[in-house]
Amino acid sequence: MKTVIETKNLVKVYNGGVAPVKAVNNVNIKFNEGEFTAIVGPSGSGKTTFLNLIGGLDKPTDGEIFIENVDISKLKERKLFDFRLKNIGFVFQSYNLIPVLTAKENVSFIMLLQKMKSNEMNKRAEELLQAVGLGDKMDVRPSKLSGGQQQRVAVARALASKPKFILADEPTANLDTQSALNLLDIMARLNKEENITLLFSTHDQRVIDRARRVVTLIDGAVSEDVNK
Amino acid sequence: MKTLLVLAWRNLWRKKKRTLITVSSVMFAAILTIALMSIVSGMKQQMIESIVSNTTGHIQIQDVLYDDEPSIDYALELSPEVMQLLEQHENCIAYTVPRIQNFCLASKDIGTRGVLVTGIKPEKENKMNNVSSRITQGRMFNDNDNYAVVAEGVANQLELELGDTIVLLGNGFQGMIAASKYKVGGIVRFPMPEQNNSMVYLPLAEAQWLFAAPDRVTNLIIMAEEHVDIDMLSADLQSSLDDEWFTVYTWEELLPDAIAAFEVRNAQVKMMAWILYAVVGFGILGTIITMVFERMKEFGILLSIGLKRIKLAAICMLETLLMSFLGVLAGIAIGYPLMYSLYKNPIPLKDDLADVMIDMGIEPVFAFSVAPEIFLQQGLTVFFIAVAIGLYPVVKVLRLDMVKASRK
Repeated sequence: MKTVIETKNLVKVYNGGVAPVKAVNNVNIKFNEGEFTAIVGPSGSGKTTFLNLIGGLDKPTDGEIFIENVDISKLKERKLFDFRLKNIGFVFQSYNLIPVLTAKENVSFIMLLQKMKSNEMNKRAEELLQAVGLGDKMDVRPSKLSGGQQQRVAVARALASKPKFILADEPTANLDTQSALNLLDIMARLNKEENITLLFSTHDQRVIDRARRVVTLIDGAVSEDVNK
Repeated sequence: MKTLLVLAWRNLWRKKKRTLITVSSVMFAAILTIALMSIVSGMKQQMIESIVSNTTGHIQIQDVLYDDEPSIDYALELSPEVMQLLEQHENCIAYTVPRIQNFCLASKDIGTRGVLVTGIKPEKENKMNNVSSRITQGRMFNDNDNYAVVAEGVANQLELELGDTIVLLGNGFQGMIAASKYKVGGIVRFPMPEQNNSMVYLPLAEAQWLFAAPDRVTNLIIMAEEHVDIDMLSADLQSSLDDEWFTVYTWEELLPDAIAAFEVRNAQVKMMAWILYAVVGFGILGTIITMVFERMKEFGILLSIGLKRIKLAAICMLETLLMSFLGVLAGIAIGYPLMYSLYKNPIPLKDDLADVMIDMGIEPVFAFSVAPEIFLQQGLTVFFIAVAIGLYPVVKVLRLDMVKASRK
């Protein structure tokens, strides 16, 4: 299988507190194309920091991050923005949709940033919202949607740019059981049909059960890596 | 750009009440500053028109030495060169008003006082300041008459009445003696005391004869057409005249004290306007700071999902500009008809203030102006204030740590 993400001796140290904290401690790991991986671990174990580093949102203190053989830790901010836009989809715990845009506009927004043609953009936004079961909520603003619906819009938004992989930071944490299961169904289907690599940081057993690989982080280091 | 504008516009209305309060404060400040500028500009214009028409005219051609030493010896000859030059500029010149002026002693019986004898062409003088309308007794002379019209103050001090004789004695051109007597055919009242207590008018030809200065004038006043730039016309005339003999002055050069007074008043008004701008500026800044801090997480997310910092900064700047412009446009939309109505129907002044204005020869009203630059200036000033305030969120966004912001 083709490796899409690889970290080498990845370290992230935060110096803000009384003493420096190693949030990610010498992580060497590979993720293959099409994998559905859950990153688990107790609070403060470095899951979110690890995802932020892989997603190019944060710079490592040491080590390298290769995304399809490109070392993103060495990219300048402007190139990193373009790289992220093109290759990575993000789903956040608290949905983080743009409140003044409708569901369709939220999904189109990423494509607009990619300067996609208007008709193409509209078509894809509609297809994605249909795919996540929100075909009838396209012109509704986030404040009128339930948490589960908002998270599904966030998933559609993450998929809009046709990314190589999706990073999801505790995407089901704020959802009720039914919404969480619906979301996981959608993600699993996309993972299977479009061969998108999924990396979830999570505490949620429902996600862990659906993942095909589970990586456990303790104190920023990989303590366990299980393929199911 | 369209998307950024749409986003900025919608963001503005996320907190409708707050935006409306901020827009209203900008609007009220705009109306106040427009009113302030309108009244200052209107009053200034009124004073200029009054002073120019009653005293100097727009431009004067004089002998090069006359301004330093206003003596009849420096009366200039209305030579063919000068007349030809005026003809060449007839498109710019509405009309000219020749005057010959000199101080003399005026007496009746045993009473004597200094007066300013002014030879005028009444039809031209009337065009400029309608001096005949100020006649309280008798009538204004014609060019061919040979009687005098005296100011009321002079008449009172010398106990002159219509039909009395006034004796004038002074220096004539280049050492000649100017001495003659004239019947008083009219009495004229001026609001300004210095005029009312000194003016004696004679027909121009009669005065030239008195001062032994035929075809000479001390001041050749030029009233320009409305569209003409006074400074440019003055410079043009000066460049065509022999500067060894002639000097051309604009009314501003002839009335430096009035200009200085206007400048002082302008500075006071501008200071008041800037205090208003500062109040408005801090109001907008407060709203923008709140908006930025409320949305730090959202900014972090937008950057995370791929919106470039520069575009996010542009959205924030657009929000500030839109909010400011809405306020200014609303201010102009309300301020313009209000000022126009006051421009057409000026507020009359009463009591002492009215008397002061009348004394200065100015109509006793609060005159307003609707000059486009007043409204344009408001727009531009608020634009620059908005840009300055808009830099705050721009700097915040450019320095934003998106990971920290996303966690807020």
